Amino acid sequence: MRALWLLLICGCANLRVVPLPPEAERHRPKTADGWEISLVRYRAVGEATGRPVLLCHGISANERNMDLDEGHSMARWFAAHGREAWTMSVRGTGDSDRADPAKGRPLPIRFDQYWQHDLPTAIEHVRKISGADAIDYAGHSMGGMIVYAYLSQGGQGLHAVATLGAPTRLDWGTGLERLLKTLGPKLVSDDVVFPSQLGAAVSAPFQTFFADGLFQRFFYNPESTSPETWQRLVLYGTADTAGGTAKQLLSLVETSRFTSADGAIDFRADLARNRTPVLVVAAKLDRVAPTPAVKDGFRALGGPKQWLLITRANGTLGEYGHMDLVIGERAGAEVFHPVLDFFTLHEPPRTP
Amino acid sequence: MIAVLALLLTASPQVSHRRVMTPDGVALAVYRYQRPGVTSAQPPVLLVPELGFSRAAWDFEGRGLARWLVERGFTVYVAELRGQGKAGPGLSLERLAGDLPIVLDALKLPLVDLVVQGWAGSVLLASNRGDARVRRVVALNTPLLAEPPSALAEAFLEDGGRFSTLASSPAGAEIFQQLFALWSLFPAGTDRAFLSTGTRDLSRPVAAQLLAWMRQGDLPLESGSVVSGLTAWSKPTLLLLGLADGFASPELCAVWRERSNGAVRLRTFSRVETKEDFSHLSMLLGTHAPAVVFPLIADFFAAEAP
Repeated sequence: MRALWLLLICGCANLRVVPLPPEAERHRPKTADGWEISLVRYRAVGEATGRPVLLCHGISANERNMDLDEGHSMARWFAAHGREAWTMSVRGTGDSDRADPAKGRPLPIRFDQYWQHDLPTAIEHVRKISGADAIDYAGHSMGGMIVYAYLSQGGQGLHAVATLGAPTRLDWGTGLERLLKTLGPKLVSDDVVFPSQLGAAVSAPFQTFFADGLFQRFFYNPESTSPETWQRLVLYGTADTAGGTAKQLLSLVETSRFTSADGAIDFRADLARNRTPVLVVAAKLDRVAPTPAVKDGFRALGGPKQWLLITRANGTLGEYGHMDLVIGERAGAEVFHPVLDFFTLHEPPRTP
Repeated sequence: MIAVLALLLTASPQVSHRRVMTPDGVALAVYRYQRPGVTSAQPPVLLVPELGFSRAAWDFEGRGLARWLVERGFTVYVAELRGQGKAGPGLSLERLAGDLPIVLDALKLPLVDLVVQGWAGSVLLASNRGDARVRRVVALNTPLLAEPPSALAEAFLEDGGRFSTLASSPAGAEIFQQLFALWSLFPAGTDRAFLSTGTRDLSRPVAAQLLAWMRQGDLPLESGSVVSGLTAWSKPTLLLLGLADGFASPELCAVWRERSNGAVRLRTFSRVETKEDFSHLSMLLGTHAPAVVFPLIADFFAAEAP
């Protein structure tokens, strides 16, 4: 028992919340339905080389996924490469408004609200502040699904897009899928918010006890993300999970369809109408969004598109899991750089 | 009586070999595995290796699906088609696909269950979808859509698909590991030993044809193409996907289920639940294959027809 306490104390001692850098500017635009969304701006270092880039996290996560610390920050990486970067937290996560029926912000929070309200609000705000006619966007996991839904319904204001580990169906005949089909409907409902933030923070010191435990197998590859980095992400990069969102996304497993909550809009089918250039990034050992799940979205997309599989066989130094795509130790060179190259490729030539 | 039964159950399978000559003069190698005195009510199971692999894919150092099935009462055949193992030279994928009915003719089998893998599996099934002697199929990482799975795979094929080159250096072994044995667990030394003795260089024409197939997205066949053949597929099929397969990537294979009108069932492996993601080779000879992969195959063949 004493040894356990010692381990816990040692684990906690190494864990601390790294604050945002001084240059980060906080913004809080309000959506049409009355929710304030947290955005953080990172101005381009030196002369701007292209459009601003908006970065969006996945489910049960927040804006800190995109700026964990100085060495693990997609936002600061883009800013250092001449792109003004913005991180966002969708409603109910990070520093964005929580549900509060007394203030006109009721549950449920559904995936549909992210693409119908939060993303358009963030895009418009970034365009207004930066003066850009259109911006670039990178979304991880659900952050990619949000932009798929947005683009599929004719969303405007985006010049080029990258999705990282974003699935559009999750019915691949795994045992986990059977478990979700069985337990999901019993556990998930519109009027709950799962305290995943608290659970993650409390368990953070323990999550790296085993070198090959459940968290490593599911979320990250120690070959690409250090245990310390993972613990920081767990400590302050996670967020509570809205039951309404989980319920809507459960349909990717239950029905293999990627639809609006009422089933009326088929995002996958409508992605064929997209004309915005999209880079689709998948990780070879992503067990949350396996490569067939990510490729499904790629195949559905209309418009200019490009596929990038992150794997040693394509030149990376290690294999990547789901979270390694944003917090991996070499993600700057191996993931963010190809994303920037894609954005630049689709940038019209600049006039002197 | 009990002693006799025990002897029968523990006796090693008898393995017999025969050559089958094709009309164009190529010798194919067929192996029959059967436990002495045991007859099965099930149709025999025919195993065909991936391009560049040999019988060793199914029976290597006493392990593998062939012996595992025999121990459970199945009669098993392994066919090395042209370009594979001890068969004669293979210079064309279409010719390789044409070897399957020749083997079935020679064996005079009215009905078989078939296990195929990878790119060889795609071309075999697409070319022979109408063969009524094939009852059920298990397909291991068998692509419907083609594209180069990675820059490394492309370079390997551009270089002629020479496994012997990979076996000759640590760098080559590393390439083999990334394409065929990524993040895989094997009984000690199996993957290296398999590379040395279980593979065979692709012929230049076949390597070029496979590369062209990947780059063009489809392979034209005498009647239709791989995509059209597999899309029209109607036999009960279990498609097993290893996420760590670097040669026939799962994203090229999974789509077959959606395009097959319900004939293809999908089962995907991931380390979250099965200790291994499974690669091209570990699905055959990996540490966990006998406990995870093989029972699914046996159960699928043993099940009543839908």
